[in-house]
Amino acid sequence: MQSHSLHRMKVYWPLYVMAVPGMLFLIVFKFIPLAGSVIAFKDYSVFRGFIDSPWVGFKHFGTLIHHPDFLRVFTNTLLLGGFKLFLVFPVPVLLALMINEIRKAALKKGIQTALYIPHFLSWVIIGGILFDFFSLSGLFNIILGWFGHDPVLGMQESSYFRPVFILASIWKDAGWGTVVYMAAISAIDPQLYESAMIDGASKFRQIRHITFPILLPTVLILFLLEIGNFLDLGFDPVYNLLTPMTYNVGDILDTYVFRTGIQQGQYSFATAVGLFQSVIGFAMVYTFNRISRKVSDGGLW
Amino acid sequence: MIAESRNEKIFSATITILLILFSVIALVPLLSVVATSFSSKSAVDMNTVTLWPRQFTLDSWKYMIDRPDLWRSFFLTLVTTLVGTVLALLMTALFAYPLSKKEFRWGSVVMVAVVIAMIFKAPIVPYFLTVRGIGLYDNPLVLVLPHILNPFNLIIMRTFFKQFSKELEEAAMLEGCGYFRMLFQFVLPLSKAVLATLALFYGVVLWNQFQHPLFFLQNPDWFPLQIKIRQFITDDSVIMSGAASTAALNYNERTLRATTVIFAIIPIIAVYPFLQKYFVKGAMIGSVKG
Amino acid sequence: MKLKKMGMLLASGMLASGLLAGCGGKDASDTAAPAGQDRSASGDQVVDVEVWGTNIGYKPVEKSSKLYEFYKEKLGVGVINPYVEWNGGTNYLNQLNLKIAANEMPDLFVPQQGIEDNLAKNGAIADLTDLLPEYAPNVWSAIPEDIWKVVKANDPTGQGRIYYIPNVVEYGRYASMIRQDWLDKLGLKMPTTQDEYVKVLEAFRDRDPNGNGQKDEIPTGGREEARWMDHLFAMYGVAMFEGYPDWDLYNGELTYSATTPNMKAALEFIAKLYKEGLIDKESLLNTKDKWDGKIQSDKVGNYFHWVEQGNLIFENLEKSTGVKAEFAVMPVPKVEGYDGFYTMKKFASPLWVVKNNKDQEKLQATLKLLNNVYDKKNWKDLYLGVEGMHYTMKDGKAVKLPDDKSTQENQILNPATSVSTLDMSVELFNETASADNKWAIDQVTRNMEEAQKYAKAIAGDGLPASIYEGYPDINNRTLYAEYATKIILGQYPIDKFDEFVEKWNKSGGEEVTKRAREWYAKVQQ
Repeated sequence: MQSHSLHRMKVYWPLYVMAVPGMLFLIVFKFIPLAGSVIAFKDYSVFRGFIDSPWVGFKHFGTLIHHPDFLRVFTNTLLLGGFKLFLVFPVPVLLALMINEIRKAALKKGIQTALYIPHFLSWVIIGGILFDFFSLSGLFNIILGWFGHDPVLGMQESSYFRPVFILASIWKDAGWGTVVYMAAISAIDPQLYESAMIDGASKFRQIRHITFPILLPTVLILFLLEIGNFLDLGFDPVYNLLTPMTYNVGDILDTYVFRTGIQQGQYSFATAVGLFQSVIGFAMVYTFNRISRKVSDGGLW
Repeated sequence: MIAESRNEKIFSATITILLILFSVIALVPLLSVVATSFSSKSAVDMNTVTLWPRQFTLDSWKYMIDRPDLWRSFFLTLVTTLVGTVLALLMTALFAYPLSKKEFRWGSVVMVAVVIAMIFKAPIVPYFLTVRGIGLYDNPLVLVLPHILNPFNLIIMRTFFKQFSKELEEAAMLEGCGYFRMLFQFVLPLSKAVLATLALFYGVVLWNQFQHPLFFLQNPDWFPLQIKIRQFITDDSVIMSGAASTAALNYNERTLRATTVIFAIIPIIAVYPFLQKYFVKGAMIGSVKG
Repeated sequence: MKLKKMGMLLASGMLASGLLAGCGGKDASDTAAPAGQDRSASGDQVVDVEVWGTNIGYKPVEKSSKLYEFYKEKLGVGVINPYVEWNGGTNYLNQLNLKIAANEMPDLFVPQQGIEDNLAKNGAIADLTDLLPEYAPNVWSAIPEDIWKVVKANDPTGQGRIYYIPNVVEYGRYASMIRQDWLDKLGLKMPTTQDEYVKVLEAFRDRDPNGNGQKDEIPTGGREEARWMDHLFAMYGVAMFEGYPDWDLYNGELTYSATTPNMKAALEFIAKLYKEGLIDKESLLNTKDKWDGKIQSDKVGNYFHWVEQGNLIFENLEKSTGVKAEFAVMPVPKVEGYDGFYTMKKFASPLWVVKNNKDQEKLQATLKLLNNVYDKKNWKDLYLGVEGMHYTMKDGKAVKLPDDKSTQENQILNPATSVSTLDMSVELFNETASADNKWAIDQVTRNMEEAQKYAKAIAGDGLPASIYEGYPDINNRTLYAEYATKIILGQYPIDKFDEFVEKWNKSGGEEVTKRAREWYAKVQQ
């Protein structure tokens, strides 16, 4: 047994050496600062520091849950998170499959470039573009005008908020999201397609039986990662589209904690809300990872 | 070649048309930003600019291009992005490779740690104090070091390495090839597609960063591009009494904002075609044969 | 060959990890003394002081920069003002907190969100009660007695000490401006009652006052979150400061104006205006530049803002459309049963706090700096800034240059935000006007004088932010903004207002009101 493990080390030591810089990085830039999350259970004050600030247990979590609008904020977060997972996430997969069908190389490159450009606009800019788009002189109302419809100021209508958020998310990131899938598709041996064609397999069959199965592990991993950020929609995308008129559908944990924690320098509370999101996210990843290991051999660990 | 069926032709045509349509939708809003950057402030004030410039002027661009500090930031950001991307790819590959191997005993524990690092966000104050503690305060290295490993990207690379042909590796191992040689001589050259992907991912983050320099840098000589750009993007105003006049200028905050946005994305769009060739189908197989 | 390449890659990998581990030691010495912190070693006795405050995008003031030298010469103290992004105050507060957590509080800074309370309680900022009269007499005398009284009442330690220097504005800065030339053209007289005002707005909407043949006029309006339309609330006696409801006496008691019947009546009126197209349909979506843009395109008949920034708008309007517009201050229209006014706050907010410096030399330098900033002799120079950067000489007169964030250093010590009096502001305008913009400046100065007639200081003037502690959403007006905007748009009926008041009280409003009234009782003593 001992000689076996000695043998292991003799052969496998490079693997351990390779992992050292990465682990060092994670410890310094992630885990040491993460230890500071204890302030979620303290009344942290910048004057007293981490050690001397008093313990308060779950007080900040209580504040969050007992907030009069908590239910509304939580529901909005769940809904937007769910839409993102089920409506936004699959789009890049479909797009990648579609792009893969384009034969002309120049056209393919052009389309890819065009689709990924919106990713480089920050949400502040996209917010500005959307507010312009839905303004009285904007494109949306010009088009409504062609159909003899009265103008609608979309950004101040609650019913518009979720569709606008979803479409804007797709618009910004779907093209960008195809990059990983295109890389995965590029790994497919062209001989597979050639032999499939000789067998007379149709396009659809080729996609179903060759392209998609090869994409699947990547899709699965990305889905698992996406689930981890289920409640963490990010502050920017929502905040930059939000108006007081759409609070009722658009106020989420991130915007709420920005207003009540970050903007006021309430670090303990902000950290508590962050932990709340992360713990739920991690629990989801853990669960789905187990499921995915059972049904396939892929998984995160 | 077997002749395509009618259905398949329709299928291909539909896809092509749809994708072209999507591309137009993706580009049209950007067009309005470009149009604004080439319009006069009066035209912008009057809300007459939609998709093409009105009262065409180059003044916003002239103002931007004449700023020496902007160019300094531009080249600084270019350098940090390049250096950071190379370092990041190296770090990520080194870490992802053992994680993709069953022989690496700590694999699953480390993977849980990586996922935790991805999902849990460190509170700002301890993060600040830690990074400051290792000497990165007011140090330009802060533009690079915190970005050279990203758990999400690490997991993606690991996923690609896992799909690597086992036979190929085993054959190489039999020839007495060590793991380092394996990684650098066989695995990485065959992983151009994922390396190109992650180069994009890291590059964009490095190019667009503002949070770290905002918190950690005091010396304005080290400010990257996005900090300069944010000066125009935020909508703050303060009271300034007195007779300062802006009437003579042909640009305003709105046109300058549009200009900075375009200015900042041109380089990153210019890089894409060079990386794109690695996504072309069969790139990997070709290199195996050759 | 390949092995060599691999070795190189490996070496750079090692380098990367070496950097990670090694830079701590190497750079600690570099960062221990940031440029601004070290004492001027040149022996010219000038001490550098690190000052933090609002900077909306200008260049920082660095050691030996032009503005640094200017301040050093005028004020005898070196001023270092690093670039800290303001971003609505949020980023500023965060960075300030990080600085404090790292034990590097600036020597002199602008507090945010009531942070001065915590600073005072923890002994982190200097007790200025005795220091100011002795070392900074100019500050002491520039600020009126009754305002110091409020500052003392705001002492969080409850001992009536002075912990900050307040921002004092001794005149009304706000008013509703109306297009006098449009009124004249349509043969209308200046409205004095609400009915007349509505008639004027209707005429603006229907009778093409800008004469372009299109019905593109926007009678009046405001900006997002129902802000900068204070004039519509003002006629109902609602205390409103830049679109934020404020505290005043209602039924003899200090009350949050958003929850008063006055507010309900005002919202009902505004909703009616919205429905009839008398206020901009996009009022609740307008950003600053959008709304300014509309005014500057000769479309808006009436707007509410800082009177003293009108010249920027008038000149841009002329540049864009060729129209020399004439704006006059509109009296607060009379509504039966209400006393209208434009809200004035003499005591806008805490302006400066001083670090409780153990280093006596720094503390003295900070006080010297403050003393010289508040010296009236220096005001004009401080306002003008550096020649060639902030102003230029034209026909023997100093003319302010237009804002340019790429070349101008941040004028952190601006008398216009310290102690402003009407006379001083008007004088600055007159002294810096040029032949080209005299017409606009004259309008502004006339309007500034005129606005005083309708300005009223509110009872809640000087109320500390600490009354909101524990109730951030009350402080943020979140609930108010949601209900007010929806009522204005007609998405909610006016009856929903009562639901708002109830919710507001339940979610902390009652407690906040109690604290506010306690504070008021203390100030009244």
